[in-house]
Amino acid sequence: MKEITAYKCKKCGRIHYPKHERCLTCKHREFEPIHPEGNVKLLTFTQIFNLPWGFDERFLYIGVVQFANGVKAMGQIDAPDGADLRLGMTLKAEWEPVRTVFDEPVYGLKLKPLG
Amino acid sequence: MRDVAIIGVGMIPFGRRDEDTLVDMLAYASMKALDDAGVDAVDALYVANMGGGVIQRQTAIASALVDRLSLLPAAADLVENGPASGGSAVKNGVLAVASGYYDVVLVAGGEKMREVTGWRATDFVATLTHPETEYPYGITLPGMAGMFTRLYMEKYGVTREMLVQIAIKNQTMGALNPYAHVEMMITKEGVMDSPHSVVNNPPAATPLHLYDMCPVSDGAAAVILCPLNRVKELTKNLPVVVAGFGQATDTHTLAEREDPTDLKAVTLAAQQAFERAKMKPEEISVAELHDAFTILEIAESEHVGFFKKGEGGKAVLEGKTRLGGQLPINVSGGLKARGHPVGATGVAQIVELTWQLRHELPKERQVKGAKAGFSINFGGFGNNVVAFVLKRGEK
Repeated sequence: MKEITAYKCKKCGRIHYPKHERCLTCKHREFEPIHPEGNVKLLTFTQIFNLPWGFDERFLYIGVVQFANGVKAMGQIDAPDGADLRLGMTLKAEWEPVRTVFDEPVYGLKLKPLG
Repeated sequence: MRDVAIIGVGMIPFGRRDEDTLVDMLAYASMKALDDAGVDAVDALYVANMGGGVIQRQTAIASALVDRLSLLPAAADLVENGPASGGSAVKNGVLAVASGYYDVVLVAGGEKMREVTGWRATDFVATLTHPETEYPYGITLPGMAGMFTRLYMEKYGVTREMLVQIAIKNQTMGALNPYAHVEMMITKEGVMDSPHSVVNNPPAATPLHLYDMCPVSDGAAAVILCPLNRVKELTKNLPVVVAGFGQATDTHTLAEREDPTDLKAVTLAAQQAFERAKMKPEEISVAELHDAFTILEIAESEHVGFFKKGEGGKAVLEGKTRLGGQLPINVSGGLKARGHPVGATGVAQIVELTWQLRHELPKERQVKGAKAGFSINFGGFGNNVVAFVLKRGEK
């Protein structure tokens, strides 16, 4: 997924997303840019009913996921009310509109149950 | 460094205060603190506020307050540190007095959140999340807490009943606190067991429900600090000594924490506070923890060392954290019932502990013989945390 750039520490290998000037583990300053790839594992999630300004939906599912190459990120889960979401399940990750600001779509990580 | 004492405190009732501006509220609480201490001049003010620039479109609030209080030409600074603004401002005041640079310091914290819709207020608080990797998705602080709760339940066996019992405990105490926003007692039947509970207490950010959340509030609180060795000449009040404080930070984003259930900043801030105070968690008589969400009262009680990991929820069920129990937590009603005007909260915790340690509260709220108090003010979702250990002083 070229839209997301994560940063792998060239010294200890820790993966950072978003960007840091120094590694959170070893303080090293050089990173290899990497892009997340493939499906993701759902680490945690919530269904939010009291949404912030800018969202007209009745609810949103939001989760934190991990890609196969170790990149962890937050994203919206595209699932109906009452969806059978479980920790550890595999989701498909796509780059799609996640909100609209001034009539313009804002793109982000959209996560979809497989099958 | 000098020892620092709290010699005056003031607070206004939290809730919806349509008639007051943000600076009105800060001024009323400040005047109460000044009058309580019996001082009429200060060297410096530290003002805690998170949302004046966003909600009221008012900036330079410390300058406005020092003028409103006729405390010119005292130094005046605004401290914005998200929901930990209050704790940070008190810490800055303590450092200023401890350093010897200022002798009498006013710390005031306030927030006016009810003049906008819940939709806008939720968005305002969410602005503390990461602007590129979290905020655009519509994440809210209750949403962060929901994701945290799901993991904490799985790892430590926290149950919904444990969370409900915290809501019941804190709203019961809030009903006795004239400063509390929510003065309504609830029952387990009404929020969990009966068929009506689905309507009374709907899911808000799963697995959390409506009654797991603190309300959105207006309010303000203030304290007066001075060197311990000047207490007798400045006030007739019994001093409360700032025995220790701590502050620590964690990653901005939840996703980057190696173990998202580990609130490292809470642990570190508490350790620093206890080390500076040369005290242990078991010496604390009363604690004000940052229960913006019921799960946080359990998680914080474990991370600061009051209970082992996985034991905090059981302690709630056994009544250990009620008034009269082994360690009363959030006798004020906590954020859950007193309310959470974000800039005010960290200061309000210190005000409550000062009243407890001065033994001034009515018996239905007073922790008998309280000698030492502890607070956690939790900023972001645990990415900036301030802790205090306070001790009852001597006349």
